[in-house]
Amino acid sequence: MASRPTVTVLGADGKATGATEVLPKVFSAPIRPDIVKHVHTGMAKNKRQPYSVSEKAGHQTSAESWGTGRAVARIPRVSGGGTHRAGQAAFGNMCRSGRMFAPTKIWRKWHVKVNQGQKRFATASALAASAVAPLLMARGHQVSTVPEVPLVVDSSAFTAASKTAGAISLLNAVGAGPELEKVKASRKLRAGKGKLRGRRHRQRRGPLVVYSAAADGKDLVLGFRNVPGVETSPVDALNLLQLAPGGHLGRFVIWTSAAIKELDTVYESKKGYFLPSNVVANADLTRLINSSEIQSVLRAPKGEAKTRRGNVQKKNPLRNKQVLLRLNPYASTFAKEKLGEVKAEGKPVRVTSDFLGQLNE
Amino acid sequence: MTNVSADLIWEVARLQNAFLVKRKASGGVQFSRDPLNLLNVHSRKHAGFVNDKALGVVAGENGAIQVISKKTSAANKPASARTVSTVGASKANRKTYKAIARQVAKSGYRADLRQAAVARASALRAAQRPVKPTPEPKLRGNAAKRAAEKSE
Repeated sequence: MASRPTVTVLGADGKATGATEVLPKVFSAPIRPDIVKHVHTGMAKNKRQPYSVSEKAGHQTSAESWGTGRAVARIPRVSGGGTHRAGQAAFGNMCRSGRMFAPTKIWRKWHVKVNQGQKRFATASALAASAVAPLLMARGHQVSTVPEVPLVVDSSAFTAASKTAGAISLLNAVGAGPELEKVKASRKLRAGKGKLRGRRHRQRRGPLVVYSAAADGKDLVLGFRNVPGVETSPVDALNLLQLAPGGHLGRFVIWTSAAIKELDTVYESKKGYFLPSNVVANADLTRLINSSEIQSVLRAPKGEAKTRRGNVQKKNPLRNKQVLLRLNPYASTFAKEKLGEVKAEGKPVRVTSDFLGQLNE
Repeated sequence: MTNVSADLIWEVARLQNAFLVKRKASGGVQFSRDPLNLLNVHSRKHAGFVNDKALGVVAGENGAIQVISKKTSAANKPASARTVSTVGASKANRKTYKAIARQVAKSGYRADLRQAAVARASALRAAQRPVKPTPEPKLRGNAAKRAAEKSE
């Protein structure tokens, strides 16, 4: 097996410390947007709270149908008199202050069971995608100032991040400044009723800081929690909802060096679990085709390169000399020797009367 | 990364990405906001963030034109992945195009983008030209001249 790729570790000043980490195996997992999307739709449903309209809504009246013969529709009508409400239609979903159609119930199927294997596959896939810079850009992360993806920062740099000011200056130092600005600028008032329900604003997701709870401690969580858009997650509890928000691959993840070191052991400690592997180990088809292994067993191309010309303009051989020569190679000799201008030698022979007789037969 | 190719990235990001602009007009046009997209169209060939080699031609300072290209060796190092070469404003148009064409195609970088790169540079040059002030409308006919004299 070829040597595993490494990633440089950045210091607190954003410069490479010189240390490198071997990239954990999970980063070579297959990238499967279909699986991630499917698992995400299931998992995103598991935090919902049941809601419904009141069981009694639209039914708090003793309405009964008047039956036929009164020249009104047979819908139940409110009984009694002395008020405008009497005689009005009730209950139906088409009625004013009637019940809704198919009233929502709290026993709707709110949660979806997602198989553990699928969840693990999706998480591994999302982690692998978080190491691909184009996918980060496609998700909208401003990573053009980031020195390397995946971004690994030395654990010692995070001691300053227990305070928010230190956390922000660390993020700026490692090139995440434009990303923080983007999040800050994206804060908008939410459309609709969500404003009244504790979801007043909506904003983009910023970087996800993954740390090792054992080695880094939990102080950095306090430092990062008031930075807009930034989320934190311990490496042994990675969540697909954070790694692929909206089911879209390529979250910008900032790793502490301790976390990236621990990631391999996190996956090894899952009993009886093997990381998914790619069907094609090398996805670069051009490189495969041009490899010496393939090229050495190919035969040489037969014949010379020919360009097939379809639908081209027809050239007139009487005007275009090259086309004429292609059709009639003798034409050049004919022209060079001026055979067309040569006079017939001697006097023309008179036509015999036999021939004329035959001609006019 | 060996498990990722440009084709895979395109398949993942084809249906939605941050650069994609969809409009219902003209039968659902799809454009791209990618700075490394010469035609600003959403397509595999012109998607700058997808391809290992991609080009951007943008306006620089003081009428210069910048040609941005991606380094294949720094695919996962976004901060150092771009090289910018500048063609100054004083360079003649034809020489500008020639320089860009040489950089794009002759060196074997992305020969298929030569025409688009030159066209974009040409459009930038045309846009950078100072706008002529519109001439005062001439008075047409004797009646107009007489009216103008009277008003003076």
